[in-house]
Amino acid sequence: VNLDSPYPLIKLTIAVIATFGLYSILYRETKFYRLFEHIFLGLAAGWAVVALWTAVLKELWWDRMIGVAAEGTPGTPDFQEAQPGHWLWAILLPVGLMGYFVFSRKHNWMSRIPIGIILGLWSGQQVQVWWTRYGPQIGNSLRPVIPTAWDSVLVPARVPLTEAQASAIAAAQNVSPDVVNQINQISATPPEAREALATQFGMTADQFIAIHTAATGAMRPTLLNNVYPVEAITNIIFIVTIVSVLSYFLFSFEIRNRLLGGMTVLGRWLLMVGFGAIFGSTVMTRFTLLIDRMSFVWLEWLRDTIIPAITRGPGGG
Amino acid sequence: MAQVDRPKTLADKLMSVPRLALYITLMVVTTVMLFVNRPLPVKGSPSSVGAFSALMGLNEGTTIIIQSDWTTSTRGENAGQLEALVRLCMKRNIKFVFYSMVDPQAPQVARDVIMRINLERAGRGEREYRLWDDYLDLGYFPNAEGTANAMASNVREAWRGRTGPSPDGPRDVFQSPVLAHIRRIEDFPLMVIIHASAIINTVIERIPNVAKLSMCTGVQGPETLIYFASGQLVGVSVGLNGVVELEAMIELGTHPDGDDGRVRGGSTPIDGLGDGYARGMRYYLSLHAAMFLMILAVIIGNIGMVMARKAGGR
Repeated sequence: VNLDSPYPLIKLTIAVIATFGLYSILYRETKFYRLFEHIFLGLAAGWAVVALWTAVLKELWWDRMIGVAAEGTPGTPDFQEAQPGHWLWAILLPVGLMGYFVFSRKHNWMSRIPIGIILGLWSGQQVQVWWTRYGPQIGNSLRPVIPTAWDSVLVPARVPLTEAQASAIAAAQNVSPDVVNQINQISATPPEAREALATQFGMTADQFIAIHTAATGAMRPTLLNNVYPVEAITNIIFIVTIVSVLSYFLFSFEIRNRLLGGMTVLGRWLLMVGFGAIFGSTVMTRFTLLIDRMSFVWLEWLRDTIIPAITRGPGGG
Repeated sequence: MAQVDRPKTLADKLMSVPRLALYITLMVVTTVMLFVNRPLPVKGSPSSVGAFSALMGLNEGTTIIIQSDWTTSTRGENAGQLEALVRLCMKRNIKFVFYSMVDPQAPQVARDVIMRINLERAGRGEREYRLWDDYLDLGYFPNAEGTANAMASNVREAWRGRTGPSPDGPRDVFQSPVLAHIRRIEDFPLMVIIHASAIINTVIERIPNVAKLSMCTGVQGPETLIYFASGQLVGVSVGLNGVVELEAMIELGTHPDGDDGRVRGGSTPIDGLGDGYARGMRYYLSLHAAMFLMILAVIIGNIGMVMARKAGGR
């Protein structure tokens, strides 16, 4: 914070008072709280109106309608050329204003024209929009539930290279395939240990990293394509969750089948688990917002602004 | 007949701790922990590792889109995310263009963050990022659905009329070195959406042809992580946890095993860049303390309830 000017100090102090004003609701609703609530809402609304005019209506509609006069002296950096206006943009004003006829009993049919245009445009996009959003999710819900790799229950950090992969990397790096396979087994390559690791294989650190990176790139598709037991179990839980939660929403007929009945009950429990996780995440957000305010008050304002200002004294020395 | 007040039992007291006392305890504990400020060990979640890997996979000098759609109401989470992102971009010399679609106040909040990181860099004697040459500020766009559609079909037309402060005065943003090579939205290698609302749905459904990364609040996290699982997002940083994980990865880098002090995750080792710990790690101990307090309050209340039930059953 620049302490040479009183403005940041005043600004931060007002912000701190406003913070406590709004938090005073935790005690009870007082005039102090209501004052800052109204200031907050007024500022937000005022800012939105100004921003809507300057960043939206003026630039995208008004200037294009009436044009922009040239500014500055030609040949200087600040010179802005004139832009011609197009009065056709004026048509948008009555069309937009028609929306306000929704408040008139006699003429409210006029409000349906702009609303109809907006709804028509929106509806036309929905098929594509729906598929772009949900298509990949539907595709991703089709998951393998039978493991294809049994050499490890958990997903390993690395898998052995095929003979062809090891030979290709060995040929490119001018080493034997055995060396490539040995390097591929090393999972940790911290910068400080690379020199020592490279010396073990009689090569430079750069060559060692090049072989390790190439081996990682080669074995990665195998790792991604394999289905390990832990992944299969995860996928089974995923699919059971989807099916049981969907079955909970079958309201069109009475459920008499015991299996389906059990599925709907499971679906309800799993939904509760999901809502619990969402609630936990929401609580963490609220705590973080409080922590940020406390950081603002005690660190940014008190420690970094007020105490240095007091220490410097009125003379600033 | 007048009702006689019976004295409060221990069970009653445990179930009726004054609300104000709980609030004050929470404020005091979180504040004290802010002053402790000690880095905690972190294990990167797959979504955060995905986010970090995507950012580290960008070539130097490329331009990314940052859609900064948050305001001071979610500063605790989103500020840390934007700060970590901007720091990473500046360290790696990645250019960016930012705008907002949800709230007219959002661009100013983002400008403040960029200014703060620039001051931080200036204090360390590092090169400051310059508007026009290194990044662009497009401001606010209304009508998120319409703007997203327009960007997907013709980004140059969607951003037409926006100017930036070139050395020769205000000029069209596409004359800037940041956007000079951009013809279509697909020319951007990555789009980062920092949000506190469900705007991610609009972006996902209307801008399909760009790799996207989300940095969202904890409230938005559960809904947004679905897109990561389905491959529609390359990474997600959720709430303060996401900020801390990102900061730890900037500091330490990632490794599949994490047995060398680096954050565990990812299949390709990526080295850290240093100077990563910041706002997220500063708040992390306080968050742990707050969560501990909440769990303690729940336990105390439940003990009180069990005691009251037992006493009632006698």
